[in-house]
Amino acid sequence: MEINALGLTAALAAFLSIWFGHVAVRKIEFASPTIWIPTIIFAALGLAAEYWSLITDNLSLSTALGILGITLLFDAFEFTRQQKRIIKGHAPANPNNPRHARILAEPNSHATTIDLLKREPRETQTGIQAHK
Amino acid sequence: MNYFGILVGIATLLIIGLGFPLVIRGERTFGYLCWPYMMGLGILIILASLFIQNNWLCVIVAVIGATFVWGSTELKEQAVRAELGWFPFNADKVKVPFTEIIKKWKAPHL
Repeated sequence: MEINALGLTAALAAFLSIWFGHVAVRKIEFASPTIWIPTIIFAALGLAAEYWSLITDNLSLSTALGILGITLLFDAFEFTRQQKRIIKGHAPANPNNPRHARILAEPNSHATTIDLLKREPRETQTGIQAHK
Repeated sequence: MNYFGILVGIATLLIIGLGFPLVIRGERTFGYLCWPYMMGLGILIILASLFIQNNWLCVIVAVIGATFVWGSTELKEQAVRAELGWFPFNADKVKVPFTEIIKKWKAPHL
């Protein structure tokens, strides 16, 4: 029986590009004064990957680039979602980032500089107050 | 023009979307300590895809496996989200086998 490694290629492409995007979106959104510039860069990279995936005759390369491209396009949209997490206080705001500083300064802001998720689970309901 | 890659990319996005309820329900029912089972299941599914000759089926199965592996790395953070009250907290979780041993391992988080 022959081994078909195309699925393994797809699984690795999916896992690695999601991991990259997961970390990159958080780090870039934290530091960047605008979200539209990284959004445009990620969208352009995603479209370039999809174009390359369309024109190549290599099935493995087409598969990996197809997955990478869609992931980058989704990451472009994730910058907006990440900013919403900052506004809700579900991700830490960066007081040295003017965009985040404005969010933090808004009246009745829920934003926080604390990374509430950075801890071990305690297997009991703690609420947010335990951190403050 | 080779449309296979772009179609696989779109299919991957849809399958990964199923990872959200997988992580939320998995954590609520079994707790984050079920992570080695979710990761192992994902790896087994990816290995099974190696024996599928049809390219479409092979890729779809493998991406489902990758979703389980990725999901296993999200369980710990999801447990904290539930503890914080951002998701419903279930105090009466089903204990997975070897919980005490798994507790000694560092749960993956990427």
